[in-house]
Amino acid sequence: MRIVVVTSGKGGVGKTTTSAAFATGLALRGYKTAVIDFDVGLRNLDLIMGCERRVVYDFVNVIQGDAKLHQALIKDKRVESLYILPASQTKDKEALTETGVEAVMDELQQMGFDYVVCDSPAGIEHGALMAMMFADEAIVVTNPEVSSVRDSDRILGLLQSKTRRAIEGREPIKEHLLITRYNPKRVEEGEMLSYKDILELLRVPLIGVIPESEGVLHASNQGEPVILIKEDKAAQAYDDVVGRFLGENRPLRFTTYEKPGLLKRLLGGG
Amino acid sequence: MPEPIVRFTPTNLAGFVVTLAATSPARLADELHKVFAGANRYFAGEVAVLDFREVTEWPTHVDWAGIAALMRRIGLQPVGVRGVPEPFHTALARLNLALLDAISPEYGAQPTPHATVAVAPERTALPAATPEATQAAPNDSPRSASRIIDRPVRSGQQIHHPDGDVILMNGVNPGGEVIAGGHIICWGPLSGRAIAGAYGLETARIFAHRFQPELVAIAGIFKTFEQGVPPVLAGKPVQVRLEPTPETAEMRLQFDILEL
Ligand SMILES: Nc1ncnc2c1ncn2[C@@H]1O[C@H](COP(=O)(O)OP(=O)(O)O)[C@@H](O)[C@H]1O
Ligand SMILES: [Mg+2]
Repeated sequence: MRIVVVTSGKGGVGKTTTSAAFATGLALRGYKTAVIDFDVGLRNLDLIMGCERRVVYDFVNVIQGDAKLHQALIKDKRVESLYILPASQTKDKEALTETGVEAVMDELQQMGFDYVVCDSPAGIEHGALMAMMFADEAIVVTNPEVSSVRDSDRILGLLQSKTRRAIEGREPIKEHLLITRYNPKRVEEGEMLSYKDILELLRVPLIGVIPESEGVLHASNQGEPVILIKEDKAAQAYDDVVGRFLGENRPLRFTTYEKPGLLKRLLGGG
Repeated sequence: MPEPIVRFTPTNLAGFVVTLAATSPARLADELHKVFAGANRYFAGEVAVLDFREVTEWPTHVDWAGIAALMRRIGLQPVGVRGVPEPFHTALARLNLALLDAISPEYGAQPTPHATVAVAPERTALPAATPEATQAAPNDSPRSASRIIDRPVRSGQQIHHPDGDVILMNGVNPGGEVIAGGHIICWGPLSGRAIAGAYGLETARIFAHRFQPELVAIAGIFKTFEQGVPPVLAGKPVQVRLEPTPETAEMRLQFDILEL
């Protein structure tokens, strides 16, 4: 079993969107995958996964022994072998204890999961540290703006010092940079950092660039991970990310701005 | 006979003599801020003797607790003072600060940088990033006084290596900080803070493959770049060293562009 944390430091950059898409993508390829919401208090993941009405027990209930893990795991209705462990809305953030999280990870391993995807809250506080604590790999989500890049830099530092792998001196967490909400037009106009700028600033292997797409909001309103909307460009970019994560060679897409051609302009498209 | 539970062993614990030519904590804090450019905990808990012999005008009241707190904030543990006039002695006693004028005259001498660094423990925010360095080799095995850091030094991280040079293979990002007793050699962008010769070594230098730092310092002489690095230097391969000014022979930082 591999544990993958989706983290960023900054809020609103697309961690939950990514966690949902990535976990769904892994499950679509047949891997038994659990996606866990570590954002105690906000509880976004079950909305994006469209299972909010089926939440009976949550992560904190399991940690506090009020429910068994198998009772709290919600099986996805669309994708075989995909499970969601929702966060609680009310309980205090310190309820996610390190031993509690560890016990849940151990049990997921015994249940035969291939991947656990941890959707981290924003910030560098307790919840974010718990989400990364047991990770084997990290997807660091960054938007093309300076403050987001700086926060990602901080998170990358924590990944190499505050996690179990770091504390025990094992092989460091494998880092992946994911740039989301990328708008090639605004990059071209100099209003946003280019992915090359970001790569140079952070010096972490790039796993993908997700374009800004209206399909993302659409999908989340419908409670559907965006990766399932096959014709959407963000969905295709997320599919590339899953492919690259599993070792496939997928060239970058959606990173250059193509000026609308004459015909398209005449027809009012673009 | 069981082992006695209290034993006295002489020690040569090294520390610092901090010469303070003023007594107002606010003025001292201001000065320290300039010297350390806001780095908190510059030292690693070494003991400090505060030497006030250069104070020329003594006020009627001195905020000793404030001065002690200031020292602790930069990571020093004040244990005593020298050169403080009689009227303040009771106030010092209340803070358990020893009067060291009479005892150990050798306290007046600056400890050699080597004696000092020998007790300074390693402090770094990057324990796992450099397992080679943290899994300390036994003392009798061959080892280098230099420390190599393979990963980028990231915002919020600090590399503190009092014993020698630091070689950075992947740059220092904005908000990252490197403190070396010796030279700092930086491959990749130097975008954070580089403090070389941190224990007074004036011959220390900083080499940066891509020079765009927030701050550089050698032996306590520093420069910040709040308005940005001058365009002639920015992004270039640069060496920083100390050189005496022709007029006053005072040390100042010299920046040379290197041919690569
Ligand atoms: N590629 C994208 N294109 C457009 N909107 C996006 C994209 N990714 C995320 N968003 C939007 O950004 C907001 C924050 O996303 P979310 O995944 O909740 O971020 P986080 O979990 O990091 O706080 C949401 O409104 C989401 O719909
Ligand atoms: Mg979220």
